[in-house]
Order: sequence, then C-alpha cells, then structure tokens
Amino acid sequence: MSIKMDNVGQSFPKPDEEGMVCIVDSIDLEINEPSINMLLGPSGCGKSTILKMMGGVRPFGVACPTAGEIFINGEACHGPHNDVVMVFQKYANRPDLSIWDNVAFPLTLSLWKKRIPPQEREERVREMLEAVGLADKAALRPSQLSGGQNQRVALARALVLRPKIILMDEPFGALDAQTREEMQHLLIELQEKHNCIIVFVTHDVEEALLLGDRVIVLSTKPATIAENFEINEPKPRSSIWLGSTYANQQREKILSVLHASTSKDFQ
Amino acid sequence: MWNPYLPLSKSTKRISTFGSLAFVLFLWSLLSGLNIIGPDKLPSPWDVGKAFATLTWSETDQQKTVERSLKEVTIEIEKDAILPAEQCNQVCVPLYDNPAIQSIEECEIDWKDEQYPEGILWCSTKIVEGQSLLWEATYWSVSRVFLATLATLLIGLPMGILMGASTRINALLSPIVDPLRSTPVVAILPILVIWLGIGEVMKIAFLVLGAIVFLIPMVRDALQAVPQTYWISARDLGATEWESVQKAVLPMAMPRIADAIIASVSIMWTYITVAEYVNAEKGLGQLIQNAKRFSAMDQVFVGIIVIVALALVTYQLMVKLKQSLYPWESEL
Repeated sequence: MSIKMDNVGQSFPKPDEEGMVCIVDSIDLEINEPSINMLLGPSGCGKSTILKMMGGVRPFGVACPTAGEIFINGEACHGPHNDVVMVFQKYANRPDLSIWDNVAFPLTLSLWKKRIPPQEREERVREMLEAVGLADKAALRPSQLSGGQNQRVALARALVLRPKIILMDEPFGALDAQTREEMQHLLIELQEKHNCIIVFVTHDVEEALLLGDRVIVLSTKPATIAENFEINEPKPRSSIWLGSTYANQQREKILSVLHASTSKDFQ
Repeated sequence: MWNPYLPLSKSTKRISTFGSLAFVLFLWSLLSGLNIIGPDKLPSPWDVGKAFATLTWSETDQQKTVERSLKEVTIEIEKDAILPAEQCNQVCVPLYDNPAIQSIEECEIDWKDEQYPEGILWCSTKIVEGQSLLWEATYWSVSRVFLATLATLLIGLPMGILMGASTRINALLSPIVDPLRSTPVVAILPILVIWLGIGEVMKIAFLVLGAIVFLIPMVRDALQAVPQTYWISARDLGATEWESVQKAVLPMAMPRIADAIIASVSIMWTYITVAEYVNAEKGLGQLIQNAKRFSAMDQVFVGIIVIVALALVTYQLMVKLKQSLYPWESEL
C-alpha cells in the first residue's frame, strides 16, 4: 500500500476577476509504510484541499489537481479510490439512520454489496461497533450520542470497508480535551490493529506530536511542504511525554517552521 | 420573563385555541344579533347553523307514479271492473321496489287507453326522499383534490428531484418552472377551458397546475439544502452518482419534501372553488357559486367553513404522518 503525490498543485479561478490563484503548490510526498502522518498547518492554508485531492473527491467544479499526479498503490488516481476513505470533522453521520445503519451504510452501496456477502457484512459491522465501544448503542440515532461517540461512529463507518488509507480532516477538532485524548488512543489502537496508512490533518501541534509517526509541516499561501519531521517514539504517548526534553525540542522546531512560513505571509 | 422558545402546556394551548374561536363566534353573534351588519351581508351564526343542517340532510316529499301494462303484471280482474283497494296495495307495492313503501295512496286501472287496449295499471304515492347536498359536494371536491394530489406528486416529485440532483437539468428547466410560480394561475383557467374542455380533466389540470409550480421548486430546494458533506462522503465511500442522490441526499431531504407536499395540498384547497367555477355539477365550489347566485349568504358561509375545516384536517393528518415518518428531523 502506498500513496504518492508527485509535484501536485491546485489553483482556483479568482472569484471576481481573470486569472487563477494558487492554493497548493508542488507537493511531493510519499507514504509507503502503515503509519500516522500528520499534515500540520495554520487554518485555511489548504490542508483540507490536499486531503480532498488524495481522496479523489472533487466538489469544486474545476480540475483537481491542476498540476501533478497522485498515485495510490503505484497507479495514477483520478477519482475516489476504493482503498481510500475519508473521515470528516463534522462526522457526516446520517441523522435518519440508527448507529448500526450508519456503520453499515457503505456496505449497502452496490459496489460493496457485490463484493461482500450479507453474512460478512453483518459480522463486519458488529466487529467495528465493538472495536469503537458502541455495540450497546447500535439501535440509537446519532442525535442521541455525544460528539466523541459520533466521531467513533464515523471511524467505524470508515474502517468497516477495511481501507488501506484513511484520510482524516481535523476529526477531533470539535471535541473536548478529555474526549479528544480518548479518541487519540482509540485511533492509535485501531491503526496498529488494521495496519493502515492514516493521513491526519490538524492545526494543533500537540496533537501532531502525540499521534504522528511523521509530522509534515505546511507553509501557507500557497501550501507547500515546509519541513518533514520523523518522530520515532513509542505510542501511545502520554501528556507527561509531551513535557519531555525531546518532545519540547520537536515542538520548538515545528513552531519555528510554522512561524517562519506564516510571517512570510505578513510581509 | 417573556421567552419565545418556551413551550406552552397542553391545557394553556387548548384554552387559547378555544378561547380565540369563542371570541370570533361571540363577536359574530354580537354583530348580527344586534343587527349592526344586516343578514344580507353577514348571516348570523344560527342561520349558518341552520343552513348547515339543511345542507347536511334534507327530506322532500315527491309524488311517484308507476304505470304498467296489464300484460306485464299478473292480476286477476275482469275487464272494465274497478280495482278493490286491498288488491291495489298487493299489486302496486312490489312495483316500487322500496322497503319504505308499505301502502299505496291511489291506484286504478285505465281500460280505455289507446296505446294499451288490454288495460293499464296506474299507481301513485308520496315518497320521502332524503339527500345530503353537503356530503355529495364534499365527496366530489375531496375526490378532485385527491386525484390532483396524485398527479402533482407523480409529475412534480421526479422533476423536482432531478432538478435538485443535477445542476444541468436545473439550469435547463428552472427558466421554465420558476416564472410559472408568479403566473396568475386563475388567469390561465380560460386557456385550460379552451385546451381541455369543461370536464373533469380541466378541473384537475387546473389544481395540478396551481400546486405543481410551488412543489417543484420546493423539492429542488429541499435537495440543495442538504449539506454537501453527505454527498462527498457517499461518493468517497464508493456510491455511484445516482446512489449518492438516492441513498444519501434524498433521505436527508425527505422532511422538507414532505413540507412541500403539505404546502401544495393546502394550496389546492384554496383553488378548489376556482376549479369548480366552470361547469361543475357537484362540489363545494359549485355549492358556494350556486348559493351566491341565490344570495343565500348562509350557505356561502357553510361552504367556506367546510372547505377550511377539510383543509385543516388534511393538514393536521399530513403533519402527523410526517412527524411519525421522520422523527429525527426535530432532533437536528
């Protein structure tokens, strides 16, 4: 399994005038090993756009990407890939379906219906609900769950397809600190169990340090890769680890790169 | 403190509802009781009540005669003889074929009829016939609204869904559909009469036209109001384009589509009188038209009240149905 971005760029037409504005510029990125990869950058820098390009979801009405090529498992990819699944900050859980049906939703699509026999579909849903700790809530609706539980549902729905690559767009951004920590641990656990590549967008340096095997710091306007940090520390990492000298050093380095790239924007 | 979000208790709500209705009734009684507004302009509530009762059930006496050639009835009688009263009943009662008739008022045999030289039996009696004009009119109007609703949904729902799901189809059809929303539908009635005649087809087509110009844009807007995340998410999980509409966007849009349907049916009730303006033999609109012609203001009021009541009942039923079908909407 691998995901590779080869000199990828994205420009949008300016809303009121002629010409294009470049949002993402010449991104070169290659991920070959199961790992958690944090895309870290200031709000509005184009992180989500990069993620949408990887997911092959193009809701913009313009060509995407406008430059370069994205390869999934070595093959150039121009649409939603079956091995790639996205998780959104706002969960995208269906309010009209029960938790069970929400998780089972992808399996009702003709693409997966053909490939997965009914009995296995049911087993997968049950297994995923247990993995995220919501087996007893299967009959409830999303409105009856908390924000953290809803994000668990979204995770279960993504994992029920057993994807090789999961793209997460600030999935824990709306959660309180305690729930976020729980979810981070759950994510690490699930990633190790399913052995998949996770690309995780965040603007939170501490979250990046706690979760990432690799932290990719983005500069802004246009978004380019400013620096790549490898963090080879055992997981899960605690808040005490965050106070360690090593973590502090990494944090300082990341922040200085972020500051350099944003101050460029002000000049 | 005044709080516009505070829900009212059930009893407060009930008291308010009946209170305001009672106030209107009181004011109405006062105005017509003290003759402030004359009965030619505002019939009193009791007159309207009486008219309601008459329209609901009225009985009329009718003289009904039956004639039969003696060839067709078996009767033992000599030529030129007079029919005794007992035999008269025996022979005539079965001819009416009506269980309410047990005896006959008059009967005789005419032996000198030119057409029937063998003799003709002639029976005559009064029959009390009851009829409910209101029930008949309601039945016809409800049937028309029901058929028009079916047709509107059959045409309007697919069109609205297609327009909401595809910006191309929307761009193609909205220049036709959107201006129709502000077209005076009533002014189109004469055109419909020319095209479709004065029969039932014209009336139902008029109701459909009046409602569908609102239904289609509302259904389209319902689909477009669904957050894009659901569409993106479905596509990302492997849904085809049609599947992402059918399995993700459409179910999410259903409560608003249901609202659109409820609104269209309400609109139809306001148009029913206009639809029945031309050549209606039966219907609530025709009942009002007829009463107006004879200056029977009380009957006009009955017609209006019945239409409003029917519209309210259908509205409440549909809202209840919607709430039970989509309970999750109020939880959003």
